[in-house]
Amino acid sequence: MTEVWDVIVLGGGAAGLVAAFHARQAGASVLVVNKGLVGRSGATITSGGGVSIAGESLVAIGLQADASDTEERFLQDTVIAGSFLNDQQLVESMVTGIGAEMQRLIDWGIKFSVNRRAPGHSSGRGVHISGIDMQRALTRIAQQAGVSFREDFQSTQLLRREGAVVGVLGLDRRTGSVDSIHGHSTVLATGGATSNWSLRTAPEELSGEGQRMAVEAGATLIDMEMMQFLPCCLTAPAIWRGLQFPWILGPQSGVHAWLMNRFGERFMARWDPVRMELATRDMVSAASATEVHEGRGSPNGGVYLSWKHLPNDIIDNFPATSRSISADWQWEGFDMTPLVERIKQGYAIEVAPAAHFSLGGVRVDAGAATGVPGLFACGEVTGAMHGANRLSGNAGAQVLVQGRIAGQAAAVDAQQRRAADRWADNQDEAAAVTLAPFERQAGVAPFELKERLSQLAERALGPVRTATALEEGRIVLADLKNNVLPQLACRTRDLMWNRDWSDALECQAAFSVIESALLGAAGREHSIGAHQRHDNKHADSGVLSHSLVSFDGNALRRHTTPVTFPFVARP
Amino acid sequence: MLMHLTLFRDGELRQLDIQLPPPAGLGLGIDRWEGASVSTALQYAQRVFEPNLGYSLSCRRGLCRLCAMRIDGEVKLACTVALHDGIRIEPAKPKLALHDTVVELSLVRVKPERGAKVATENRIPTTT
Repeated sequence: MTEVWDVIVLGGGAAGLVAAFHARQAGASVLVVNKGLVGRSGATITSGGGVSIAGESLVAIGLQADASDTEERFLQDTVIAGSFLNDQQLVESMVTGIGAEMQRLIDWGIKFSVNRRAPGHSSGRGVHISGIDMQRALTRIAQQAGVSFREDFQSTQLLRREGAVVGVLGLDRRTGSVDSIHGHSTVLATGGATSNWSLRTAPEELSGEGQRMAVEAGATLIDMEMMQFLPCCLTAPAIWRGLQFPWILGPQSGVHAWLMNRFGERFMARWDPVRMELATRDMVSAASATEVHEGRGSPNGGVYLSWKHLPNDIIDNFPATSRSISADWQWEGFDMTPLVERIKQGYAIEVAPAAHFSLGGVRVDAGAATGVPGLFACGEVTGAMHGANRLSGNAGAQVLVQGRIAGQAAAVDAQQRRAADRWADNQDEAAAVTLAPFERQAGVAPFELKERLSQLAERALGPVRTATALEEGRIVLADLKNNVLPQLACRTRDLMWNRDWSDALECQAAFSVIESALLGAAGREHSIGAHQRHDNKHADSGVLSHSLVSFDGNALRRHTTPVTFPFVARP
Repeated sequence: MLMHLTLFRDGELRQLDIQLPPPAGLGLGIDRWEGASVSTALQYAQRVFEPNLGYSLSCRRGLCRLCAMRIDGEVKLACTVALHDGIRIEPAKPKLALHDTVVELSLVRVKPERGAKVATENRIPTTT
């Protein structure tokens, strides 16, 4: 007889592990399924470490903070930063729920410090927990709670019976076997879809399988055109590509480095003459990308960031006040001394915005329900929490609160909706789609398609968009879908760690992600936050809508629903 | 650019030398391999020379430690080490090797037959 879990959690980052812990606490048997290794994959490890919490919530759990910083102010900052595109019900549940989650982390003995300042927030608001410490603590807590794990398992299809999700099918990368895992309730916590963009800060494996599986199972994707770009990331050399070190040594830390185009113009003056480089990250990203789009960029497709007007002392003394950079310029896994030396010699550094965080994703309500029976979602795989731009630290708050809600809801759901017969209607089809690239003997190597897709996303769905580029993207994507996707073939028959096969499955996910984003972006004809239309730089003063994408027959279709403003009215 | 690989395949260690062509024009955005990481080279080698080649890669910035390998005799993170001619790349620990350069680094895998010993063996020392 097939083993049936009460709750299956897809993804082993913070959102997934918190969900797994809470489902287990509620008495469910829980399996965490992870594409890589739990504790060594996902975006949590790479997090800057912020967890936003209102000052009053910190005071309520006995920490020293600004008590006048209320949950209402936290909600308001989040919604203003998101250009009012947030689902305010989600924001409300985050700002009111995060204090209790922080208390739990303190009880678990996690290392943290209280923030003094937090960019974009109207107060210090929140704590700092390094991404590595967060991931390590949650891995241990989930293990101690009795959660089980299945690693190196690339989930590709949700198993369904009569419209409800009854498990997941995927590829065991260690053995090459295509397996089905059955559960009464499933939580998606697979993270963002950033690796479909060529220049990115996030890990390799965030390719959007969760978003794809959800929409194919009948869920709705929301605001998929909203990709947060982090400005001032390195474009070269290859070993440093995508690193956000210049952003940290510059604007993020309040250091007044100057952004210039190839004519030496400080182009931020055209966008925000007061804050200049210290403007919000969506604006700095849009401004930098606009320079490149209009032909004023640097050789590697970026712009210049310069510290030359500052005395070297400011750079020399920087590490003393930095949480992440050591005195000898060790940062993350790198020795940044050569770059710093170059900066001190007066050279500018080429930087560009990198895909950083998926603001759009699976549509959920404040109960983490997707609307598909047996399917819940939490964390970066979901959409609309952050609207059109995310404040620093809000992803940390989101994963903890939504993770708890999703885990508890899934445990209750698993109790209420137990089906004796877990046989899926789509078992054979799901297996066939997953096996297809392996069984095809000759065709296109998957990495070639992967490259073309990420270049397509970069061109059509970068920080600045135009109707022309979006339409070109749509045509190219349709061509690739009809003519190349069905031709994907693995060049090796090896079952173990067959990267061609994994790449082919990631390509399948990429199509849903990119197509949804193109549909959303083409339909949103005005500029807002992370979605900057070069052909229409003005914001829309009319009805503000969410882009929704769902399956209609055999095709993805876009529709809209007006944004509601239950807590903070739109001015 | 010559890479000497020692790969764990079908239960034994095998040697494989790969001569990478000059990177200009390969779409990697570099004109010298010295500006690329070992991970980038392995990725390129899998794509062009050796479709079977197994390697692990996640964060690309030295945080997740998934890409730990023995490079020129020392266990390092492949994503943070720059290439040089004649570089030697091996599994971090032959006893933990699974496939090619991929080794067992699971923090949560249950191995009842080996008990508590597993936890200490999994802790691969790194120089970073």
